[in-house]
Amino acid sequence: MPMLEISNLHASVDNGAKPILKGLDLSVPKGEVHAIMGPNGSGKSTLSYVLTGRDGYDVTEGKVSFEGEDIGDLEPEERAARGLYLSFQYPVEIPGVPTLTFIRESLNAQRKARGEEEVSAPDFMRLIREKAAILNVSMDMLKRPVNVGFSGGEKKRMEILQALVLEPRFLILDETDSGLDIDALKVVSEGVNALRSPDRAMLVITHYQRLLDYIAPDKVHVMSAGRIVASGGPELAKELEAEGYDKYVRAA
Amino acid sequence: MGGIRMTLPLKLTPAETALLDALDGATGWRAATRAALENRGLPNKRDEAWKWTDLRRLTGNITEAGTIAITGTREPDAKLPIRHAPTDILPRLAGALGGEARIYTLSEGESLSLEVTASVGVGHAIYVVEVPTGVSAQVRERLSVADGGFANIAVLYRIGEGASLDRIVSIGDCPGILAVSSGVDLGEGASLRQTTLTFGGKLVRLETHLAHPGAKAEAVMDAVYLLAPNRHADLTTTATISGPEGNLSQLTKGAVASHGHGVFQGKIHVEREAQRTDARMTHRALMLGDRAEIDAKPELEIYADDVQCAHGNALGAIDETALFYMRQRGLPEAQARAILIRSFLAEPLDRIRDPQIRDSLLEDLVTGLEALS
Repeated sequence: MPMLEISNLHASVDNGAKPILKGLDLSVPKGEVHAIMGPNGSGKSTLSYVLTGRDGYDVTEGKVSFEGEDIGDLEPEERAARGLYLSFQYPVEIPGVPTLTFIRESLNAQRKARGEEEVSAPDFMRLIREKAAILNVSMDMLKRPVNVGFSGGEKKRMEILQALVLEPRFLILDETDSGLDIDALKVVSEGVNALRSPDRAMLVITHYQRLLDYIAPDKVHVMSAGRIVASGGPELAKELEAEGYDKYVRAA
Repeated sequence: MGGIRMTLPLKLTPAETALLDALDGATGWRAATRAALENRGLPNKRDEAWKWTDLRRLTGNITEAGTIAITGTREPDAKLPIRHAPTDILPRLAGALGGEARIYTLSEGESLSLEVTASVGVGHAIYVVEVPTGVSAQVRERLSVADGGFANIAVLYRIGEGASLDRIVSIGDCPGILAVSSGVDLGEGASLRQTTLTFGGKLVRLETHLAHPGAKAEAVMDAVYLLAPNRHADLTTTATISGPEGNLSQLTKGAVASHGHGVFQGKIHVEREAQRTDARMTHRALMLGDRAEIDAKPELEIYADDVQCAHGNALGAIDETALFYMRQRGLPEAQARAILIRSFLAEPLDRIRDPQIRDSLLEDLVTGLEALS
């Protein structure tokens, strides 16, 4: 049984007025990293929001199963507690909330939802220090309000840091490479690769092949006009980089 | 048609009739107060300054006499009869019916705490706080009014030359009606830092009228309101800056649930002599539901030409993107909302200088948010 199984997924925004996903099929087994590539407007970000349950993204047909459970009716926080994690393309600034507080409260909320003990303050500090070191994130940054005044690269590092602390079962990385210079890209990729494990799967959404040089996918899917139109191995990403999306856009 | 103005005699509410009865046989300015009340009634939505807060309607049937207890960290230094009449009707009534004024004269470093508790029925009180020349002190006022009560309170602050006052006003859950009219006379080179926290009431109206001399004096007037359904809070301030080189900063933040009603009215009047004034007024509020009501009227009236004055007013809803982001990390929706509202409202409270009072008000805010969800 695949960890994530998406079948014939249709979804729209604006109260059904605007269909974006039009019969998408995808399955990602445990332990694998899959990439989704596609041109702008193909529905990649919509897919990430539909999977994580954002309000305003309505599933009109089809089904999403996570570890055998239909998650279509679950709230975003319930999906998070089951281990679905979205690294945002544009991480959100939250003035007035220190990053440390935010991450600790998120972790404890998830643990509480799963019926686990909350993490004590000293244990949490030990955990976050250890993970922050992997991503070169300073304590000073962690004391600042969530993402406020952070550069694009800092925001993306913070997304991966949260994933390292929350230890989700399934990661969706939405355009994690956008706005990163090559050094930041290496640091972020190291963080992501540290999360690879036989018990975990990932969906890497990207417009460019560049990120996949650092996070090597097991499979690559091409998305166009709300559907997966081609699937293959890592070589497919290289082909797209060389030849562009034209033939897939036409095929759709 | 033109020239003839028809005036119908006012049909008095039971509350107004009871107030007139209490003023029977009054002389001097008290008699004038009685006449003004008889002619115009209690403040109501036909008065421009009260168009969003209809005191007359809500006090209508409150006739019995109530009591206002004022307890403090110490007794007042004096209790004196009121000799001069305030201008507006409510402080006039407080002066006429509130008995002797309690006078507190603060000493250097003093921290005065006053609990004002009003019972069922109509009560009036008046107190005066004097901060002598050069003295630094702090006053914390906590007010509450019982269900079925109407408390009318007049307060006068006289802040002497070079003196410094931190004034913290907090109003807990207030099922009754509360009107507080504060006059603040600021001396040259003096400093006022006023912070108000209110969760509204059946009706809460807090007026502050600042007489600012310019003259390197500095005033901060900040406020926070968080209103549950069927709660009303009205924060009204006027500041008249009469001389050069004064400073004024006002930051008011609010959040209102469906069927709650918040009002902010702020007016800064900069006189011709008040050159090089620096005055800023900001009001920002969150509508927490479709049926929330927030009315705001910020005004600048500037007669000097070399000034830096600005005002801003913004109403909005909770940032849905931030809410989704927090829920995606596992925070339940109610908790995520509370965190966002708290962080929005905390800013004026974060500017309180006394860390203990700051923490205590922030705690009150969190408690208020928990009650809301």
